Amino acid sequence: MASLFFPNFGGLFQASILVVNAIAILSEDRFLARIGWGTSQQSEPSFGGGMQDNTSVKAKMINLISSVRTLMRIPLIFLNLLIIVWAIAFG
Amino acid sequence: MQRGTYGMPPANSPPLHHPVPQHISQVPNLRSPPPPASQNGGYGQQSPPQGQQAQNPYMAQFGGFMTDPTAQMGLQMGQSAMKVGQDYVEQNFNRYVNVSALKHYFNVSNSYVTHKLLLVLFPWRHRPWSRQQTHSSDPSARGTEFLPPREDVNSPDMYIPLMAFVTYVLLTTLIAGLNGKFEPQLLGMTFSNASVVIVLELLVLWLGRYFLNISSESQIYDLVAYSGYKFVGVIVTIAVAASINRGKGTGGWVGWGVFAYTFMANAFFLLRSLKYVLLPSDNAPGNPGVQIIARGQRSRRTQFLFVYSYVVQFAFMWWLTALNFTTGVPGKAKSGR
Repeated sequence: MASLFFPNFGGLFQASILVVNAIAILSEDRFLARIGWGTSQQSEPSFGGGMQDNTSVKAKMINLISSVRTLMRIPLIFLNLLIIVWAIAFG
Repeated sequence: MQRGTYGMPPANSPPLHHPVPQHISQVPNLRSPPPPASQNGGYGQQSPPQGQQAQNPYMAQFGGFMTDPTAQMGLQMGQSAMKVGQDYVEQNFNRYVNVSALKHYFNVSNSYVTHKLLLVLFPWRHRPWSRQQTHSSDPSARGTEFLPPREDVNSPDMYIPLMAFVTYVLLTTLIAGLNGKFEPQLLGMTFSNASVVIVLELLVLWLGRYFLNISSESQIYDLVAYSGYKFVGVIVTIAVAASINRGKGTGGWVGWGVFAYTFMANAFFLLRSLKYVLLPSDNAPGNPGVQIIARGQRSRRTQFLFVYSYVVQFAFMWWLTALNFTTGVPGKAKSGR
C-alpha cells in the first residue's frame, strides 16, 4: 500500500490506525498520572457536588484520551491483525 | 429438470410466449430475484433454449410459474422481506444522516449560485454578511430558522461544494489527459485524494466542535458546507495555471499568484461567514435558540476561527493544487500497485 503520501483510503486507514494505536497504548498509571492527565485526578476534591471541570480543553482532552483507550482497545486488536495480515499477504 | 417436481406437465405454453407480470411493484430488474423462490435458477436456464425472445429471463420466469400458488407465496415473502429490509436501512440511515436538514442545503437557484461563486472569488466588497432569519416560523419550532439559500446569499449551501468537488476531480484528470498522461486509475486516485482531504477536514471540524462545545446539529452541517468552498478557488487556480503553464503543473509565478489570491479570498470569505456561525453575539434579544457563550470560550473560538481559516485552509488548498501529475503518476506506478 502507498504509505508515503496517502492519496487513497488505504493510506488514510493505516495512518489513522497508527494514530489511534498511539493514543491507546498510553499507560494510565505510569504516564498519564505522572503528568497530571489521569482520569482519577479530575473530580477528586469535589465528591459530593459532582462539579467536574468538563469544558476546558485539558479536561476534554483527558476525557477523549480515556474514552479512546477504553472503547478502542478491543477493536484495535482486530484492526491491527487485519493490517498485519494484509501487509504480509500483499506487501 | 425441475419441472418434474410439480408432477404436472406445463401444457400451457402460450403464457410463456406472452409473459405478463401480474404484480406491479415487482422485483426491479436491477436486483437479484427474491431468494426463497429457488426455482428461478432452473427456469432461467430453461427459458433461453426454448427460443424465448423475452426481454430478460426474469419476465419469462414470471410468466412461467405465476400460476403456481407456492411460487406466488415465495414471491410474496421475498417482496415483504425486501420491503422490511428497505425500511430498516432507511431508518438507520435517517438516524445517521439527517436527510431533511440536508435538503435545506440543496435548495438553491441559478442566481444564487452565480452570486455565491462571485462572492467566493471576490468577497471584499460584500457588505452584510449575516444570515437572515425567518420571522414567520412559529417560535416554538426550533428557535432560529435561517432562510434557505434560495433567498439569502449569505446562507451556506452544499450544492456548490459538491459540484466543485466533482469538477475538481474531472478537471485534474482532464489536464493530465491533455498532457498525454491519462490513465483510467487517475480518476480514482484524484477522487480518493480529494476525499481524503474532505475526511481530514471533517476530522478537524469534528475536533473543533468537540473542544469548543459547538452543540447544535445544523452548525456542523454549516461548517461542512463552508469547508467545501475551497474547491472553487482550487479549480480556478488549476485552470488558470494549466492554461498558462501549458499544463506543467501549478508552478511558476502565475500559478502561485493565482493560488495566493484565491487563498486570501477564501480565507476572508470564511472569516466573515464563520464569524456569525461560531460567535453569535448580538442577535435579537429573547432568541431562545442561541446560547450565550462564555468569555473564555469566545476567545478560544476566535483563535480556532483564525487558525482554521488561514493555516488549515492553506495546507489543504496547497495539497489539492500541488498534485501535479507530471511527477505523481510515474511515482505511483513505480510503487508496485
